[in-house]
Amino acid sequence: MLLLSFFRIIGHSMEPQFKTGDRVLAGYIPYLISQPKIGDIIVFKDRNTERVFVKRIKKIKENRYFVEGDNRKDSLDSGKFGWIEKKEIMGKVISKF
Amino acid sequence: MKTAFDFLLGIVPRQIAYAHCDIPCGIYDPHLAQVSAHTVIRMTDLILDLKKEETETGDKEFMHKIARYTKVKEEHAEMVKHEVRIIWGDYFKEEHLKDYPDLHNLVFKIMKLASKTRQEVDKQSASDLLSSVQEFAQIFWKTKNRETVKVSSSYPTGGEIVLPK
Repeated sequence: MLLLSFFRIIGHSMEPQFKTGDRVLAGYIPYLISQPKIGDIIVFKDRNTERVFVKRIKKIKENRYFVEGDNRKDSLDSGKFGWIEKKEIMGKVISKF
Repeated sequence: MKTAFDFLLGIVPRQIAYAHCDIPCGIYDPHLAQVSAHTVIRMTDLILDLKKEETETGDKEFMHKIARYTKVKEEHAEMVKHEVRIIWGDYFKEEHLKDYPDLHNLVFKIMKLASKTRQEVDKQSASDLLSSVQEFAQIFWKTKNRETVKVSSSYPTGGEIVLPK
């Protein structure tokens, strides 16, 4: 969980929304006042690799979240990550700049 | 003159978020290796430029900064090796070697240089590492029939990044 942080995007799975080198601002503040919802783009730490990933929430079930990249041809999804829990979500992408 | 946005950029932490995988999924990009090589240069510069303040806490602050810069230098030199190894081992095929017979030597050189930048605080080795990684990036994009262009990195290290056109 982080209040506010900048992230540099590496990879293609969120194209065309985000490309490699793009910078985004993300934070947990929105989720202090509302729950994550389908369509939100989130950053989260993969429990297996400890790497931070950026993906979009596609399904929600019993407080767990199925995430997937927009560029489905070139993206891993929760089939790889497993359904992630809210505590794994570091924040919501607020804007790109 | 600094804007409020510049101020925000300065105080808010910055991290990397991967929109990436290594199944292998066919998604390879030497960009991160280049960024990491730039980081090695930056950390080397910071260490070389660091002066010990003659204050009560000067020694501690000096050691603290040295420790932090060295840690990041170590991590990013290793990241260069990791990223280049993945592309070299998973992406490149034997047929590429017909067009780029020195590829193995180049990768070997990158591995050695990255290790040297970890072992030493040597600006020349760090610069050589970036040049070699850029050469590797150019070869990579050529195998994908993509022309490359060198653009200004806009990092404190100056220098360039190789990108596909």
